[in-house]
Amino acid sequence: MTKKKSEAANEDQTRDTKKKSVSAVKSSQKEKPVLAKQVKSSKEEEDLLLDSATDSDYDGDSLSGSLNSDDFDSDVFDSEDDASQKETEGGDKDSSEDELELHGNEDSDDDDEGEQVDSENDEEDGSDEEREVAEESDSSEDEVAPRNTVGDVPLEWYKDEKHIGYDITGKKITKKEKQDKLDSFLANMDDSKNWRKIYDEYNDEEVELTKEESKLIRRMLKGEAPHADFDPYAPYVDWFKWDDAIHPLSSAPEPKRRFIPSKWEAKKVVKYVRAIRKGLIKFDKPEEEPNVYLLWGDDSASDQKSKHLTYIPPPKLKLPGHEESYNPSLEYIPTEEEKAAYELMYEEDRPKFIPKRFTSLRSIPAYENALKESFDRCLDLYLCPRVRKKRVGAHSIINIDPESLKPKLPSRKDLRPYPNSCYLEYKGHTGAVTSVSPDCSGQWIASGSADGSVRIWEVETGRCLKVWQFKEAVKCVAWNPLPDFPILAVAIGQDLVILNTELGTDEEQQKIEELLRLGTLPEQDEAVAAIVSWLPDETYGGIKIKHFKNISYVDWHPRGDYLSAVMSAGETRGVVIHQLSMHKTQRLPIKMRGLPVCTLFHPTHRGMFIIATKKNVRVFNLQKRELAIKKLETGLREISSMAIHPGGDNLIVGSKEGKMCWFDMDLSSKPYKTLKNHPKDITNVAFHRSYPLFASCSEDSTAYVFHGKVYSDLNENPLIVPLEILRGHSTSSNRGVLDCKFHPRQPWLFTAGADSVIKLYCH
Amino acid sequence: MDGGGEDASKVIHVKFVTKLDSPFQVPSSSVVIPSNVTRLGLSSIVNSLLTLEKHEAFDFLIDGELIRMSLEQFLLAKGISAERTLEIEYIRAVAPRKEEKPSLHDDWVSAVDGSSSRFILTGCYDGLGRIWSSPESCTHILEGHSGAISSIAFVNSEGAENVTVATAAKDRTLRLFKVDTAESGDPTTRVGAYKILRGHKASVASVAAQKYGSKICSGSWDCTINLWDTDEATSELSVAGKRRKGNNQAEETQLEGEAESTFVGHTQCVSSVVWPEHDVIYSCSWDHSVRRWDVPTGKESLNLFCGKALNTVDVGGEGSALVAAGGSDPILRVWDPRKPGTSAPVFQFASHASWISACKWHKSSWFHLLSASYDGKIMLWDLRTAWPLSVIDTHKDKVLCADWWKGDSVVSGGADSNLRISSGISIS
Repeated sequence: MTKKKSEAANEDQTRDTKKKSVSAVKSSQKEKPVLAKQVKSSKEEEDLLLDSATDSDYDGDSLSGSLNSDDFDSDVFDSEDDASQKETEGGDKDSSEDELELHGNEDSDDDDEGEQVDSENDEEDGSDEEREVAEESDSSEDEVAPRNTVGDVPLEWYKDEKHIGYDITGKKITKKEKQDKLDSFLANMDDSKNWRKIYDEYNDEEVELTKEESKLIRRMLKGEAPHADFDPYAPYVDWFKWDDAIHPLSSAPEPKRRFIPSKWEAKKVVKYVRAIRKGLIKFDKPEEEPNVYLLWGDDSASDQKSKHLTYIPPPKLKLPGHEESYNPSLEYIPTEEEKAAYELMYEEDRPKFIPKRFTSLRSIPAYENALKESFDRCLDLYLCPRVRKKRVGAHSIINIDPESLKPKLPSRKDLRPYPNSCYLEYKGHTGAVTSVSPDCSGQWIASGSADGSVRIWEVETGRCLKVWQFKEAVKCVAWNPLPDFPILAVAIGQDLVILNTELGTDEEQQKIEELLRLGTLPEQDEAVAAIVSWLPDETYGGIKIKHFKNISYVDWHPRGDYLSAVMSAGETRGVVIHQLSMHKTQRLPIKMRGLPVCTLFHPTHRGMFIIATKKNVRVFNLQKRELAIKKLETGLREISSMAIHPGGDNLIVGSKEGKMCWFDMDLSSKPYKTLKNHPKDITNVAFHRSYPLFASCSEDSTAYVFHGKVYSDLNENPLIVPLEILRGHSTSSNRGVLDCKFHPRQPWLFTAGADSVIKLYCH
Repeated sequence: MDGGGEDASKVIHVKFVTKLDSPFQVPSSSVVIPSNVTRLGLSSIVNSLLTLEKHEAFDFLIDGELIRMSLEQFLLAKGISAERTLEIEYIRAVAPRKEEKPSLHDDWVSAVDGSSSRFILTGCYDGLGRIWSSPESCTHILEGHSGAISSIAFVNSEGAENVTVATAAKDRTLRLFKVDTAESGDPTTRVGAYKILRGHKASVASVAAQKYGSKICSGSWDCTINLWDTDEATSELSVAGKRRKGNNQAEETQLEGEAESTFVGHTQCVSSVVWPEHDVIYSCSWDHSVRRWDVPTGKESLNLFCGKALNTVDVGGEGSALVAAGGSDPILRVWDPRKPGTSAPVFQFASHASWISACKWHKSSWFHLLSASYDGKIMLWDLRTAWPLSVIDTHKDKVLCADWWKGDSVVSGGADSNLRISSGISIS
């Protein structure tokens, strides 16, 4: 504290000395014109010149001083102390200033001001200052007391007197005899020392300046320090001891302004903010895009422009909770049973941290996994793939809503009607219903059962209309697709029986009877005769076509004259085509591979015939007798069923592993979509004739209904939407739903269950 | 009742009014009742006011709406102030009070007609039509069909001694029978058809007779509606006796008729036709539509789209203009075709659990209709409430047909081969 004070005092002293010297110079400069006037010199003009020169020098000095103060101002701009002072001092001026002015002209420093005040004083009245200085001064030149004691009065007052004043004793000082001007001029011109004589009109005497005095004046005229031995550039002596200054110089508390936000600064900030808003201040020019770019450049390379490894931030660790505490609450600590249960768990499933309790921090043992974990970490680092995950938009991949990745499917409500609830049941069979087939008008439905019966039901009421009883289980029933030809094809064991349902009008009945009457049978091929024989059916008056192997599947041609029969065990001879009108059988003109499962006649193409074997689906053209036109690779283990879209270009195939494949036959030989829905075997698949619906039924006692819209626009892929799971059948002897068929005109689905019930699901 | 301990705010002043006759009239003074009473409570209050020896069930109407919840809730729901004296109209509850003995048939009863007050007509899956004068007494058997009868109707139900009956069957024909009602068939008399109407290419699903005329119309699975004449004179004679071997009435000559005109428009089976006015026929079909046909021109004048396959349609209600139809879902829908610009149903009743097989409007009431469903229930509906008035579940299997009889009974036939009659339904 004291040191600081002393420092300040010293500073004051130095300042004082400086001031003194400056004021001395100034005072002498002030004196100078007075003196100069009376210098009796022959070189008056020179003197005048000199005079003006000194004047200009002085001006320059003061200018430089003001400049310096400016510099200082800007230098200390940051200092809070000064700034606040500035604010207080220059507050008035601020408002009038230009907004953008950075360096104000306002005064900022004590010293500065002091100087300025000094200079002002100099200019205003030099005499006061001079006297003060004279009193204070201890220089030897001023020690000679003036002879005259009248003081500072105008000398005109003594113009007409003989004396010019009084000396210290009170005696009049008489004026010297005034010489004639011409004489004095001549005397002056003669006297070689005249140039250094000055007339002191106050004392009325001639003073001869000594050499030293003239040198002094000369130096002053040059603007230098009057004394020759004064060194203006003396090295600065830091006489203050800065070491061991551990205590502040002042015990004054820190001023409040150090702690409060500066208003002035805030104002400045506001100014700048306004300026930025108005666009007057622009920070950086927008980077100009290069108007040329590498057209054929590899885009991917731009990502890897930086060769160095990208920074991959470590995953954020979860902050420890209460259970990680060394002394957690009792509820966090697992019981013995829980711990035993943890032991039984797989290592991955086991919780990573089991809370334990220690009485004190020092009883915590060393972390037992430390070594292992650091080793694992090393392994991780060694194997760490240095790839950065691509970020999509603002979110990283992890944050993507999984819902948004689902394909956009239309709502089920918009896809109505579709079968969804069961209102009607057809009960009467005593064994599992293996096959159903609705007639083309939708009034009747035929069903075949494992109990050996074939029944016809009235769809509307669920009444059983007709029953035919056979000795063996019925494998398949198929209603003739022609509306005026109500006959049924039934596969029972090795026999294919054509039944007359007697539901047609009288004329239709006549035609059917005619057709079913076996007259002289046409000559059959030997190969065909070996495997197929046409016989009349005695019991029900139809036709019985006996095959050499058990028939598993029957399908009618859309024209209703041909029907195909599939014998799974028949291998290469497993598919035959019967022509009803001719009572004739044909073997397939094509060599077949694999065990046939089911067959289909193409709905629009007359000669096209589709055969599904256990693994593949092949499309043949019967008229051209060629090899397969197309082979569809299902990738399924065992095909169980297939159905074709009425448009003819799309095919669905169901498999025993529960998968269903949708083939767009125009598109590819690979499935367009594979639907894995059923946990058990798919037993049958079906397309609706007019509604965009298809269904699959399975051994898991459910049937699935899908929306399957095929667009006439070839560019558009079929739209497949799962709609409904139809439940209701019960499993009997491990079999579920064995067959499903759509109603030909309504969006209804018939399902035949192993529980001997046929259900109708309506919309 | 006087609400001794009741909170004053939970008490309502009511006045019971009725259009019923003297034994059921209460004094027209207002009474104070607790607000939380339900229909049962109100009914017991009225019964105690009436002091009848036999308890009578009543239904209550406030502002033309039936109360089906507690009075308080009802007032809250309808926004009726409980401050003023409330006027409650009461009617006798619409519910069967008596169950007649069932009349057993040989097979499923598929059709019933109760439009005559003297007889009930039933059609059966054994191909026989029957006329019942009362429960358990079958007077006539109408024979001749080789397939199940799907629909039966009186052509001229009232008046003359001889009634004409039309039957539609799944053998693609309609038959007309003349029955002399005078001879009381003690041993049931068997009647053969006097006229066979052929022309449909598939099963005939429904038949309806002109109200005061001699024409009938039929809807069929061949998607057409045919119009037939029942007159003997106008149709050409043809002998059809030979076809009917082994029939004891084979010597009788039979007329064969052809369709007068055919209305084409439906794309699927015409499941039901009704002929409510002289030259307007309504039909419903499995193509999800209800259509109205103008008989003279044969053009359809209305097409209501429903979205479901329809089994039954009837016209009645206010101004005999409301169309009620039910079909392949448990919802009975009522349309008002007079309402312009919309084809949405004005009422939907959805208490059934399965397909609706029959719906009939009450002949005299604007509000009441019945519906029969495959869930074995017959429900009586009032347009003024969304809940069924009563449920008749005497049938043990699907109900295939139902009709009103004599205005206070419901006759119904079903897959349990019984004709059941629930009587004593008071509809004022």
